[in-house]
Amino acid sequence: MKSRVIFIVSLAVMIVLSACSYDGEVRETKNNEEQANTLTLSWPVDIGEVNPHLYTPNEMFAQAMLYDPLVVYNNDGTLSPGLAESWDIASDGKTYTLHLREGVQYSDGSLLTADNVKRNFDTVIENSEAHSWLEVVTVIEEVEVVDELTVKIHLKEAYYPFLQELSLIRPLRMLGDAGFPESGNTADGIKAPIGTGPWILTAYEQDQYAEFTRNENYWGKKPSIQKVVVKIIADSQSRIMALEKGEIDLIFGSAQLAPTEFTTLQQNANYITQVSEPLSTRIISMNTTYGVTKYKEVRLALQHALDRQTIIEHVLNGLEQEAYSLFAPGFPYSDIEINEYEFDLDKSAAILDKAGWIVDEKTGVRVKDGKSLTITIPYNSDDQVHKAIYEYLQGTWKEIGIDVQLIGEESQILYGRSKAGEYNLIMNDSWGAPYDPHMYLRTMTGEKQLGFYAKEGTESNEQLTRDILRVIRSTDEAEREALYESIIQTIHEEAILMPISYRQNYLVANDVFEAITFSPQQYEVPINLYEMK
Amino acid sequence: MGQFLTKRLLSMVLALWGVTIIAFFLVRIMPGDPIEAYFQANHIPVTEEVIQQLREEQGLNESLLTQYVNWLGNAVQLDFGESFMTNNPVIEELVMRFGVTIQLALVSFVVILIICIPIGILSAVKRDSWFDRLTRLTVFSVASMPSFWLAFVLVYTMALKLDLLPLMGWGTVDMMILPALTLALGVVPYYVRMIRTSMIEQMEQPFVTFARARGIPEHIIVRRHIFKGTLTPLITSLAMTLGVLLGGAAIIEMVFTIPGLGRFIVEAITARDYYVLQAFIFVISFFYIVINFMADLVCAWIDPRIRLKEDAS
Repeated sequence: MKSRVIFIVSLAVMIVLSACSYDGEVRETKNNEEQANTLTLSWPVDIGEVNPHLYTPNEMFAQAMLYDPLVVYNNDGTLSPGLAESWDIASDGKTYTLHLREGVQYSDGSLLTADNVKRNFDTVIENSEAHSWLEVVTVIEEVEVVDELTVKIHLKEAYYPFLQELSLIRPLRMLGDAGFPESGNTADGIKAPIGTGPWILTAYEQDQYAEFTRNENYWGKKPSIQKVVVKIIADSQSRIMALEKGEIDLIFGSAQLAPTEFTTLQQNANYITQVSEPLSTRIISMNTTYGVTKYKEVRLALQHALDRQTIIEHVLNGLEQEAYSLFAPGFPYSDIEINEYEFDLDKSAAILDKAGWIVDEKTGVRVKDGKSLTITIPYNSDDQVHKAIYEYLQGTWKEIGIDVQLIGEESQILYGRSKAGEYNLIMNDSWGAPYDPHMYLRTMTGEKQLGFYAKEGTESNEQLTRDILRVIRSTDEAEREALYESIIQTIHEEAILMPISYRQNYLVANDVFEAITFSPQQYEVPINLYEMK
Repeated sequence: MGQFLTKRLLSMVLALWGVTIIAFFLVRIMPGDPIEAYFQANHIPVTEEVIQQLREEQGLNESLLTQYVNWLGNAVQLDFGESFMTNNPVIEELVMRFGVTIQLALVSFVVILIICIPIGILSAVKRDSWFDRLTRLTVFSVASMPSFWLAFVLVYTMALKLDLLPLMGWGTVDMMILPALTLALGVVPYYVRMIRTSMIEQMEQPFVTFARARGIPEHIIVRRHIFKGTLTPLITSLAMTLGVLLGGAAIIEMVFTIPGLGRFIVEAITARDYYVLQAFIFVISFFYIVINFMADLVCAWIDPRIRLKEDAS
């Protein structure tokens, strides 16, 4: 017995020791000199291999730190030179000649050349299945190298947002030749994240941290901060505690903090808090091919029954601005006057009464021709904000005899339902810069998309489809303006989309920053513009 | 003993085969698939043709039976396919993270033993004393706390306010203390009560009275006669707990930012990463079965009645 006890005890000790001997090199890598100019921030998920040409698990903010676009999208919706110093567009809109910036160096010392740019385009086009949704890829016929610093891109047909989409964080940013895999196809993965961006990835431990160092050879304005350490922290409470303890300096973005968490931290004077300009629109999309939302009068009644102010104040903690138009002013082609549907429950009720939807005394729900006015709203059960908005609507709409059925579902099940069109209302936020307005609208022409179900059952269906397909091909600025105006007005008149609010991003930081800001692209953290005290 | 071993080994192989069937079909009956999940996670509007084409390329359009047979054929050679999320071999992804989760589970396991055995024994021996009452009260309170809340209380006091231990991370001994303790506290009440009750039961057995009559010192009676009797049910139960600790550390890993398996699996479920999930269910079940097998062996070794009975039947 004694020997057994000794055996068991020594086994336990061995287990503990073996666990302890695990060598974690992670920990504190900074020394004191650097520490002053090192920014540590949290991120909820690992950054991936940071392949510039692919989607998840590659994180967009990391892709934007390492790789540069050919064209830059500015805060005011205009474009400015990136890796391409200038460009010429043929009059038929089908050829773009890009003049590359001279002397731009990749992080491995190699130079940016036309051959290298063509190689990047070609590998993305080779993987065009994955990018089938993105016309900037599928519209390209051929990329031609003219000379060492000039590329000519031939398109299959005119596509006016071409330059705008070249500013996207992915998939058309440039990877250095040495980063390409043996197969030459970056869909198989990359060898190393070699970019021309303001930062270089200098250390990485999967699921734990990533360290970026300032690119001393950067062609543009060099960042003032020397090092950026990204700590992967999956839980929002843990992030807040890490901020309080000073283990991180910054929590960036609504993906990392719920509105209530942000407003709580906002009240604490120790922190810097900031809210961005509108980045996208929170929109409820109706299904005009399903149930009672087929009828325009029901859609109109719902529009007048939407109390944006209460939703913003009580659900969104006052962090967003009321939206009546699809896209915030400041987005291209979006400064359009519309005749707002003001919040007025009596008006809603009157519209429904007039249309013959009469309240059933027993159930309190309106009925017409034996059909009851029931609205089905599915939502992602993990999304507490959506849930709260819908529960509020359910309560308010009950007052005017509209019965709301809420269905909280797991994201994949919800996706299946949305594709099958089995809903009346669903959240369908706009995409933000540089996609809005063209991509959001163009998606309405794609089968089984949310926008498609919004448009399909209306009388203006054919006209909308025609106009949307026309506007992206138009090479005439005045025609485009007129078409966008008509499309947005028609959508408004058909009452198929209900903008609630303009979404804004926010950040919380310890008081260590001199300058801190947002990017117009919602998934980008513009650390190269930050300055620390 | 030989017959006992053969029988146990055979049933183990059968159980593992059953697990492969359950692992495969359980994952496949979930709505959605990895292709759709990928596009959805990236908010990419995509046509049905593209989805079909990619399904074809990934072999997801073949019959379930064909897919199962192909998967099983590769799995027996330890090739579990590639993760849809990361494009890396599943086995690499799992091994890398499983090491961390095993460490966490084993350290918690040791914490459980260190806390429960002395407290359980003392509580039984000093039955109805102030110590026993205090133990019962504490155990009752701890048992009613959810583990994520307990984790926050511990982190908030020990790491944030008192600054005694690191807030999060993994790699050094001090980083292991809080997560291991939190994970352990979830099952500690169960074991303290179990050891206490089982000890008290043993104390009332005639052989204890005889031992006292033989004049054997009390501490030897407690150790050799009473505690030994509680060992068999305790080991069987602990073996199950080790399995639970391996599979159930997801929340703790989230809170303490530990790069273990739990977090990865939660992501894999959302992404419908079939091969990762199938391999995970298989590997966890494998560990369960092996641990239980080992527990049976240990019990047979400690308690000759078990092996004699098995050999006789």
